[in-house]
Amino acid sequence: MSQPDADLQKRAAALEAELSALAKREASYRAKMVQEFADRGERNTYMHSLREEIAALVKRGQEASSDIEVLTRKLEAELARSAALSAELDAVKRSLSWRVTAPLRRFASDIQATPRPAAARLIEHSPADGAPFTYYLHTSPFRIYRGSTFTLRGWAWPEDGRSVTAVRANIDGRLFPGRHGIDEAEVLARYGPQPANSSPGFEITFETPEGRHVLGIEAQLSASEWRTVMRTTIWCEPDGRA
Amino acid sequence: MSDEAHERWQGTTTALGGRSDYKRVWDRQAAEYDVASLAVGGFIGEDTLERRAEATIETLRAIVGIRPNDVILEIGCGIARVGKPLSHLCLHWVGADISGEMLKHARRRLEGCGNTTLVELATVGLQELPSDSFDLVYCTIVFMHLFEWDRYRYVQEAFRVLTPGGRAYFDNFPLDSDHGWQIFTQGAQYTLGRRPAHLSMSSSREELRTYLSRAGFERIRIDDLPNGLISVSGHKAAAA
Repeated sequence: MSQPDADLQKRAAALEAELSALAKREASYRAKMVQEFADRGERNTYMHSLREEIAALVKRGQEASSDIEVLTRKLEAELARSAALSAELDAVKRSLSWRVTAPLRRFASDIQATPRPAAARLIEHSPADGAPFTYYLHTSPFRIYRGSTFTLRGWAWPEDGRSVTAVRANIDGRLFPGRHGIDEAEVLARYGPQPANSSPGFEITFETPEGRHVLGIEAQLSASEWRTVMRTTIWCEPDGRA
Repeated sequence: MSDEAHERWQGTTTALGGRSDYKRVWDRQAAEYDVASLAVGGFIGEDTLERRAEATIETLRAIVGIRPNDVILEIGCGIARVGKPLSHLCLHWVGADISGEMLKHARRRLEGCGNTTLVELATVGLQELPSDSFDLVYCTIVFMHLFEWDRYRYVQEAFRVLTPGGRAYFDNFPLDSDHGWQIFTQGAQYTLGRRPAHLSMSSSREELRTYLSRAGFERIRIDDLPNGLISVSGHKAAAA
């Protein structure tokens, strides 16, 4: 082989190596582009789901505002009624007949002061004593209850480190057992492990008969005593009977 | 026929069952790994998976070639049966599947394979992937589970995402091989109301050739494979 041919072959081999390296760089660039394109798509999907969550929260906020408005009107009506009743009572107490019959009422009062047997218990189950809990309710109990039943979801553990062995709702003394031991991985990630309550989630479905009630969420600790996690007044107006 | 009558007629037609709901059909089958493995390849053991994957890779090597600098896309990668070993032979392997559940298994199997990417497809098509990006697009043991329109959609999309000069490969079973006829007769045993949504349906050579031809591919080639399947391959014209 002559010298010029050998040089040419050497140059061709060098060019080929350069071309191959270039092809590899170009392919790497495309692979990166595909990765970024797919990542962007995933981010877009995530953004979309976040927007949907925001829309749902805005809707819940609007519903809550509407409930507050209705409750405010009820409160105003109750205050007006209370003021009217107070005025009526004052008028009665100022009347001549009230003053004339005062000795009779005193006599009746003396008779009633005599001890009598205890009145029958009005409620089936008294609320359990309270205790400090760390808790959160995923479904807010502060609303007007419009269905015939309602399901509350949340998580809780007592601050004294005991385990929750059962949960229930107490509506004016009526008990509704719930389900507990539901995983709450995000909660544990935030608050740290809870050795006695590794699955602190719960879910309780209870009836919501028309009217005003006292709702208590109660937890049984270490399979013995019941303690109240939280208590609040609720107002139920099942659909069609509001 | 008036528009109003046309509308009423459309309202009376019945949906073609759940087959088109590919995401639901395959997510359900992929809930557990062994069932997913059975659903995508008819076998469970890792050894068998690898052996069958090697056979597929040999077919790809013989028909469309596999090069070290290739950026490769598999349509309907399932649990990455082929992708796992193939990723060692190319620059980058991308697995796309409509079933997010299948991809969970694939992700686990591909741990340690840095040159791989998994993409969950929202629906039929490759809208999650950019144009002119891949040197090789292949789709194996997938067409039998798709309606014809969707098979063609993937061929069209493969053409779009291929670089100029890129290669494509698709396969299915034909009726005129013993293996194909066996699958057909097994499917025929289902009663009308019990046909599963994923029931395998054949392709003819002309059908596959037509898809690639209509999508714009060149140098289209049909091959009869030793395992009783037929394949179609083609090239996207190189840039002038």
